[in-house]
Amino acid sequence: MRTSVKKLATAVSTSIALMGAGHAAAEIQIGIAGPMTGPVAQYGDMQFSGARMAIQQINANGGVMGEELVGVEYDDVCDPKQAVTVANNLVNDGVRFVVGHLCSSSTQPASDIYEDEGILMVTPASTSPEITERGYELVFRTIGLDSMQGPVAGNYIASLNPERVAIVHDKQQYGEGIATAVRDTLKDKGVEIAMFEGITAGDKDFSSLVTKLKQADVDYVYYGGYHPELGLILRQARQGDLDAVFMGPEGVGNKDINTIAGEAAEGLLVTLPPSFDQKAENQKLVKAFESKGEDPSGPFVLTSYAAVQLIADGIAKAESTDPFDVAAALRGGAYETPIGTVEYDKAGDMKSFEFVVYEWHSDGSKTPVN
Amino acid sequence: MQDLLYFSQQLINGLTIGSTYALIAIGYTMVYGIIGMINFAHGEIYMIGAYTALIAITGLASLGVVWLPLILIVALVCAMIVSSSMGWAVERVAYRPVRGRHRLIPLISAIGMSIFLQNYVHLAQGSRNIGFPALIEGGFTFGSDGAFQMSLSYMQITIFITTLICMTALSLFIARSRTGRACRAVSQDLGMANLLGIDTNRIISATFVIGAALAAVAGLLLGMYYGSVDPLFGFIAGLKAFTAAVLGGIGSIPGAMLGGLILGVSESMTSGYLSGEYKDVVSFGLLILILLFKPTGLLGKPEVEKI
Amino acid sequence: MAAHNFKHALFCAFITLLISYPILGFNLEAQGINITITGADTTTILGVLLAAVVVFLFQLFRDQIMGRVGDLTSLTAGKHKEPMAENRRAKIESWVLTGIVILALFWPFFMSRGAVDLATLVLIYIMLALGLNVVVGLAGLLDLGYVAFYAVGAYTFALLSQYLGVSFWFALPIGALLAATFGLVLGFPVLRLRGDYLAIVTLGFGEIIRILLNNWTNLTGGPNGIGGIPDPTLFGMEFGRRVKEEGNTSFHETFGIAYSGEHKVIFLYLIALVLAVFTALVIRRFMRMPVGRAWEALREDEIAARSLGLSRTAVKLSAFTIGAFFAGFAGTVFASKQGFISPESFVFLESAIILAIVVLGGMGSQIGVVLAAIAVTILPELAREFSEYRMLIFGAAMVLMMVWRPQGLMPMRRIHIELKKQE
Repeated sequence: MRTSVKKLATAVSTSIALMGAGHAAAEIQIGIAGPMTGPVAQYGDMQFSGARMAIQQINANGGVMGEELVGVEYDDVCDPKQAVTVANNLVNDGVRFVVGHLCSSSTQPASDIYEDEGILMVTPASTSPEITERGYELVFRTIGLDSMQGPVAGNYIASLNPERVAIVHDKQQYGEGIATAVRDTLKDKGVEIAMFEGITAGDKDFSSLVTKLKQADVDYVYYGGYHPELGLILRQARQGDLDAVFMGPEGVGNKDINTIAGEAAEGLLVTLPPSFDQKAENQKLVKAFESKGEDPSGPFVLTSYAAVQLIADGIAKAESTDPFDVAAALRGGAYETPIGTVEYDKAGDMKSFEFVVYEWHSDGSKTPVN
Repeated sequence: MQDLLYFSQQLINGLTIGSTYALIAIGYTMVYGIIGMINFAHGEIYMIGAYTALIAITGLASLGVVWLPLILIVALVCAMIVSSSMGWAVERVAYRPVRGRHRLIPLISAIGMSIFLQNYVHLAQGSRNIGFPALIEGGFTFGSDGAFQMSLSYMQITIFITTLICMTALSLFIARSRTGRACRAVSQDLGMANLLGIDTNRIISATFVIGAALAAVAGLLLGMYYGSVDPLFGFIAGLKAFTAAVLGGIGSIPGAMLGGLILGVSESMTSGYLSGEYKDVVSFGLLILILLFKPTGLLGKPEVEKI
Repeated sequence: MAAHNFKHALFCAFITLLISYPILGFNLEAQGINITITGADTTTILGVLLAAVVVFLFQLFRDQIMGRVGDLTSLTAGKHKEPMAENRRAKIESWVLTGIVILALFWPFFMSRGAVDLATLVLIYIMLALGLNVVVGLAGLLDLGYVAFYAVGAYTFALLSQYLGVSFWFALPIGALLAATFGLVLGFPVLRLRGDYLAIVTLGFGEIIRILLNNWTNLTGGPNGIGGIPDPTLFGMEFGRRVKEEGNTSFHETFGIAYSGEHKVIFLYLIALVLAVFTALVIRRFMRMPVGRAWEALREDEIAARSLGLSRTAVKLSAFTIGAFFAGFAGTVFASKQGFISPESFVFLESAIILAIVVLGGMGSQIGVVLAAIAVTILPELAREFSEYRMLIFGAAMVLMMVWRPQGLMPMRRIHIELKKQE
């Protein structure tokens, strides 16, 4: 089922791309680059679903400056090597606006090419601070940075007056980045950090880690990484009688963690962007997703929607499809999107992007913690 | 006292994982002992065993079966049947046609098979991690309240006992039964055994089937113990198990057991006393050291170079 | 039709059902927080049944089918041609090769940017495979951790440019030499091991180097990798839109042409092409030198070679070191092409792919390796619509190739003299 949908989508997008090549004059191509296959394809699904919806809705409202948006989809499998090939193909196809990529390690090498070739990029998911640190003119994002999320989590843990905190991460760009930010925040607050340790992503046995956490007698554990590993750690911690409160970034906040951790997921703390799909002003949009049989609650669905919308609004405001003009327009204005009002600083980061602490429940629901 | 409890807890963790490495390592060691090839796809067969067990458990649950022993037995039997068939088929399709050729050829064929099977499951079941229900919960705890408590879960005990039973049964089978005797004969000299009227093809198939069945047992046990399965986890486990087999002396069944336990304990001690990041470095480093100083492994027989 | 055959066919069909139905026929799905099981759609189930029927029929008529196929092959084999004279063959081969290189030199100017970029990747794989070919194909040493030397080359350039500002042209020989040194140092203790033990130890080394790169965050940036690796320059001319380093000029300004990103891509391609040709020529020389002969001698019969006075360690080490040297070369080019490297690019699968190229091409044969590198890199790109299936097909192709044509696409031909047939 999954595969046939994907095949259809690919076929459709290819044919759209071919059509786009025919009469490009009346159309604006938006490249969507992310993983359609590979281990993190489920995050890619969120990205494509959000971006497709935005393109569809904008076209239904008459497009941008009378021109229609056309989505051209590329699969980078979240592999840095393929991301470079994808970026070059994008250049080749004459695409000048990109929504993507997803993984920071793909976004970074691809952005070098986009910047050189004058292509505007908005990433809906890459949170690594390095991406916007290099003074690039055409790189934007619709998501917060690791360095924003870390302090939120760190401050929250510090406010609970913990005795000893352990920080564990999965030795990947995303996980270690956040974990380091949390550690620095906690250090500033004078909280004792009992452990700062990496694990191997893809590993299944965490019994030694759990024993070590138990020995260190910690009351809070912050985990930087994704849900497959944290799910197992939670479950094995419960089996090993470790009673500590766990906390993680938005990469752990999806329902898959419940299928893995079961009861042990109760009480997990997660920093998430506010659930945009819960906002009152987005309900119409949520309905539109649901009528298509898609789930708008994933963390990257509405950020991708917003990315497309920002490109469209930027073009409209600049009254030009030149990426440099659009970039200037994006930096110069405030835009209303489903993820709130977006204003950009010089680096291409949003001036404010809020993260909220949620408590996760074993039935997959979550409640905000003040 | 505290330190001792901590040490014993890490030891138990290591022995648990080590005994499952041993179960998987049997498949490598028997195949290598008989036809001298590394069956790279064995880790995938273990992964398929875990998936089949999960499918059986979920299926029974949706049928409303709640009696635990029945669930476990059905899952175990299903996993063993499917894995063994897979082991048999893999041997027939990918290894038998290339047997006796240059030794690189079967190895490449095996790597190809491993990639194929990973993607087969990936396409059929998706790439996400799927939770595995914890059917056996609870356990004993030792130590006083308020301090470090050592725990020994029923699941860990189950793993020890099952491994022990499997190992004993296999050793008896190899030592006493007719097929076992034939296995030993084939591993000593394939051509000679053939001349003496042993159906060597059959024995080689049997080796693959036995190895795959034990891997399926490990798949069910580890699925329950860890808590999730994904299409890629067989490869890593297979690599570790292969390391265990080489460590103990490839071709030797007690060696596989010993190698598995040593590997498991050294891993858990590394993560317990140093850092989990360097766990794999230590296990591969250990392998390299042993091979450098005792190239046939701990219990392997030294090979005489014939001219 | 023997009853035995029928029974066997039935058994095979049953096994086919057993290994495909449970995995394909039931889908585990996460519904909210629960795992549920759903039956697959009818097409899948029909497909499974069809597969079982096909297996049944094939096994039932196996003898007949195999007989037919055998006839076909013997027919083609019957038209055995008189082998071409050796010197004529060599001449034709070298003309063809020169032609291909000249074509490859001009080709990128007419192609799209994506294609040129892909071709650069192909050339990198060609370099890697040619290097590994020395180790595996010629010396017969199974190296499963070859990617480690590739990583050493890439990281050498990345680190040198980051900390010391060394340019591509200086880093290229340093990276290659450092990789060669690694090969020498690692090779020394392990080369006395027998075939399969050698394979697993090299695999271990490959993994250890990757894990160290991942964990040594202070130096290598750990999982974050190293970015901002400069592009190669042409006599101090840069190819970027803006000049990044002081003292350099930019290519398009010097020549007064409009800026185009294609210049950079083509330039990188040409560098990779020159280096790949260089690699091929050097290794070709080595093959004809005494040391090359010694590699093959040792591969064919170690005991005989040693009894003729060849030093086993020296010969094996030379192969290992030279292989590592060219991996370092390829690594430097890769780092420069990507502009960003992280340990993710140097996993075991990469080693397996390079090995697959060597074996598919025909061990020891250079043209074969080039063809296989092109096939392995480009086919998945062409089959983008089947992107979900490409690794599945890749795995199956590896197995089928080993079963049907283990000598590879273009098996190596030794230089030899054919005896005239006596009537």
